[in-house]
Order: sequence, then structure tokens, then C-alpha cells
Amino acid sequence: MVFNSVDFIVFIIPVFLLYWLVFSKSSVYQNLFLLIVSLFFYAWADWKFLALLVASTIINFYLGLKIHKSPDDRKRSIFLYMGVIFNVGLLLYFKYFNFFYEGFYEILNVFGVSSNYSTLSILLPLGISFFTFQTLGYLIDVFNEEIEPNSNLLEFSVFVTFFPKILSGPIERAASFIPQIQDKRKLSYDVCVDGFRQILWGLFAKVVIAENCAEFANLIFDNYENNPGSVLLIGTFFYAIQLYADFSGYSNMAIGVSKLFGIQLMRNFSTPFFSTNISDFWRKWHISLTTWMMDYVFTPLSFILRRHQKKGLIISIIVTFILVGFWHGANWTFVVYGLLHGIYFVPLVYSGRMNTEQIVAKGKWFPSIKEIFKMLMLFVLIMLTDVFFRVDSVETGIDYMNRIFSTSIIDAPSAIYGNTTIITIMLIGIFIAVEWINREKKHDFDISNYNIYLRWASYIFIFVLILFFGRSSETFIYFQF
Amino acid sequence: MEAEVIKNRISDVLISILEHKNFEMHDELTARDVDGWDSLSHMMIITKIEEEFSIRFKLRDLNKLKNMGSLVSVIQSKI
Repeated sequence: MVFNSVDFIVFIIPVFLLYWLVFSKSSVYQNLFLLIVSLFFYAWADWKFLALLVASTIINFYLGLKIHKSPDDRKRSIFLYMGVIFNVGLLLYFKYFNFFYEGFYEILNVFGVSSNYSTLSILLPLGISFFTFQTLGYLIDVFNEEIEPNSNLLEFSVFVTFFPKILSGPIERAASFIPQIQDKRKLSYDVCVDGFRQILWGLFAKVVIAENCAEFANLIFDNYENNPGSVLLIGTFFYAIQLYADFSGYSNMAIGVSKLFGIQLMRNFSTPFFSTNISDFWRKWHISLTTWMMDYVFTPLSFILRRHQKKGLIISIIVTFILVGFWHGANWTFVVYGLLHGIYFVPLVYSGRMNTEQIVAKGKWFPSIKEIFKMLMLFVLIMLTDVFFRVDSVETGIDYMNRIFSTSIIDAPSAIYGNTTIITIMLIGIFIAVEWINREKKHDFDISNYNIYLRWASYIFIFVLILFFGRSSETFIYFQF
Repeated sequence: MEAEVIKNRISDVLISILEHKNFEMHDELTARDVDGWDSLSHMMIITKIEEEFSIRFKLRDLNKLKNMGSLVSVIQSKI
């Protein structure tokens, strides 16, 4: 049940009404209701793995308590390791088993031991990459004594399964999520309206921007061998915008839906293309994943390697980004994607220019020429790297790149001439302009400070664009991760 | 060692790594308040502090650092 479906509307209206009208007596009622609804929501999407989700929740709950109650460090570590093995083991089995299995046989082949093998057909439980990271982070936080474990199974279950974020994040932290559900939530008109705004904007990003860009990206990528370099280059542009609009749109809808229930999820994107260097970009792109990786991978690793100064820092960054890439799926393309992004940091580490102004042209209407140049250069770099995010194999990615940077890059891109192209480019222009205007705000469509006429004009404008140019879609790119 | 002396020496470390003096030392100061003190420069600062005071942190010590006051007390407990 995706957010942009009729099913979801039919689901959310009664849930919203029941939550605030019937189950609003106390936090226990509210949480019980959210848990039931969340399990229903998950079962609707993927009933086969509902038991896995429930088991994972209960096991992590008890491990958290065990870590906390253990009298000595050795026992605490044992329970933490159990948790790490359990959660990482789930991911390795469901997501990466075939990858390593194939790799193993390929190595055997290299050594001349040829053997036949067939991969297992393992279905990927929906949302597993998201909920295992959440529970893993929770156990590490408890171990580090950054948080007290939650001793209420109901609250903990809501933390793990809360339906707006179960399928594709944001990857929440217990420290910010659990306190919000410990008290009774009160209906706030302003928060709800803000939630609707964010849903509207997410819907626009998804069904108008991402889906229209997908038309071009799919056409070009699926047929790349028959297109000149110029068209392939344009294909990377549409894919980069599609990827961003798809996932930031999803995230905005998830955060907006959550607000309707009085729960604030963490921001996942903060206008990442308005960045002037790669470090800035990653502070604004899939924030819930990158901060997770920062806290639980980069920090310990760079701590261990701290004596090696900049070299240690670079190794830590590259390893962290390879994992960021690999998190997306069991394919070498994601490893290459992560590796490339890690390498892009190297000049920054050596020049010591890691930290720039995070909001470009803060307080101004327009960026300077220098800022525009830097943003464009960075965008082109990211857009080209995204090729490895899109293609099925590294070979295809390299072939695609070679074809872009061939003499045919100067051919006229006649394959994409047409009115739809012009309309799509204009829609992207509107999308980017609105994000630019709101880049200092709490979210991409936070127009609460506009006067009532301007606010409603904006809502109607976006709504009309959705009606006219929206395309239906049954899935999101990030559901496969 | 007195807290004030430690703070002055930390301040020198920050200036040498971050190359600016735009911060005021007090117990509630956090990395977030200081320009350029982020997850990437953090380890360089930590390493330099270890050298400055001839101490060794554990990862667990770092997780407990909440602000300048807690950094000073962790350092005091090690020298």
C-alpha cells in the first residue's frame, strides 16, 4: 500500500479518525492502536514476513534489557554481540546471501575448481534494511549507555513497526522517537496542517517529478546502446532528478503522515543539490542513513585509525561509503557507487575544506556566480555517479560512461525532442525553484509564514499540477532496499 | 590539573586544528556551537588532545562527551 494510492487514502482516513476520536484516552490506547494498525499495514504489504518483524522486535527488546542489566562488561558485550550477529545475520541472509554465495563459487572457479551451483531464491522482507538498522542502533546506544533501554514492549514495538516509516525509513533513533510516544499525544491543528503540506509536496515530487523523469530515464537507460552520448548524458540528468524526487518525495510523505499522528520523524533530505561540496551534499542526502553510518561505522573506525591522521580519516571515509553503497543492495554497482563517493572526499580531507556554509547563499535571494558554478559541478559529478546506482552491472555502467564520453556526445539529442520534454523540464524548474525558496526552512514546503491567500494559491497550484501531470506508480525505488 | 588550565590548552588545540578563534570556552560549549567542529574534524581534535595531555581515550569515553565540561572531567580523570 503506497502512500500515493487509493488504498492508502481508504486506509488512512478511518485510522486517523479512530486514533484521535476513539483511542485518544491515554498513551497506552494510542500505542496499542498504532501497533495494531502498523502490523496490519505491514501484513498488507508483505504478510509472509510479519512473523519475522514481530520476532525481531521481541528479540531486540529483550537483548536491550539484558545489555543494561548485565553486571559486568564481559556479559554486556556478549549480549551486544548476540544482537549484532542477529541483526546483521538477518540482513546477510535475506539480502546478501546469494551475493556472497556466487562470489564464493567464482573464487573456486578462479582456482580451477569448477562446479555448478544455483542461487537460492530468497525473498527480501520489505523494509528489512530499515528496521534492522533501527534496532541495531538501539542496542549499540544502550550498550554505550547513551540511552536507557525501553522496558515497555508496547512502546518498543511501536518504535520498530510504526507504519509511516516501516517500509522505507527514515531510520529513526530510539532517543528521539520513544520519548514522543511515552506521553499522550494531543491533536494539534497546526501540526496536522503542516503534515498535509508535506504530504502534498511529497506527492508532487513523486507522481509529477519522479514519474515524469522516470519515463525519460527508463527509455534512455533501457535502450542505451542505441542512443548517442548526448542522449545518454541527458538520461543521467533525468535519473538523478528521478532518484531524488522519488526518495525525498517518499520521505516527505512518511514524515507528513507521521505528523498526522502527532509524531515527528527525523528529516531525511535537506535540499541536497544546493551544496557546494560533496561533504555538504552527504549531510543533506538520506540524512537518517548517513548519520547512522557516521555514528556506528565512521566514528569507531576513525577512532581506531586516529594515529594515522589524514590517511586514517580517508580509509574510514572510504570504508563508510562503501558500506553506504552496499547497504542499498547486493550488487557490485552499489559498491562502486559508494567507493566513488568516498574517493570524492579525498581532496577535501587534504585541503582541509570539509566545512563550508551548509545553506548556500543564506538570507539571500540568489547565489553568487561562484556558488552556482560549484553547485553545478557537484550536481554533474553526482548525476554521473548515479549511473552506477541505476544499471544492473558494473560492466554496463562502464559501457554507459564510455558511450557518454565518446564523439557522439556532440550529436543532436533528437530522440528526446518534443513537447513532453519541454513540459518535464518546466516542472523540474518549478520543483527546484520551490526547494530553493524553502532551503532554510524546516522542510521543503514549509510555507506556514505565507499569508492565507498565498498559501492557498500555492496549495491549489501544486494540486492542479498533480492532477494534470501526475502519473500513477505502484512502487518506490527505495522499496527494493 | 585545574579545569581552567585544561580549558586553555584545549582552546589552543581547537585553534590549531580549526584555524579560527570564533568560540568562547565554557562548560556548556558543544561541538555544534563551534564552526568546523564536525564528525570529520572531531577525530583530529581528539588525537591532538591525547598528544597534548599524554593520555589515551577509549571509544566509550568519547560517547560520553556531551560538552566542554564533560571533556574536561574525562581529561582530569586520566592525568
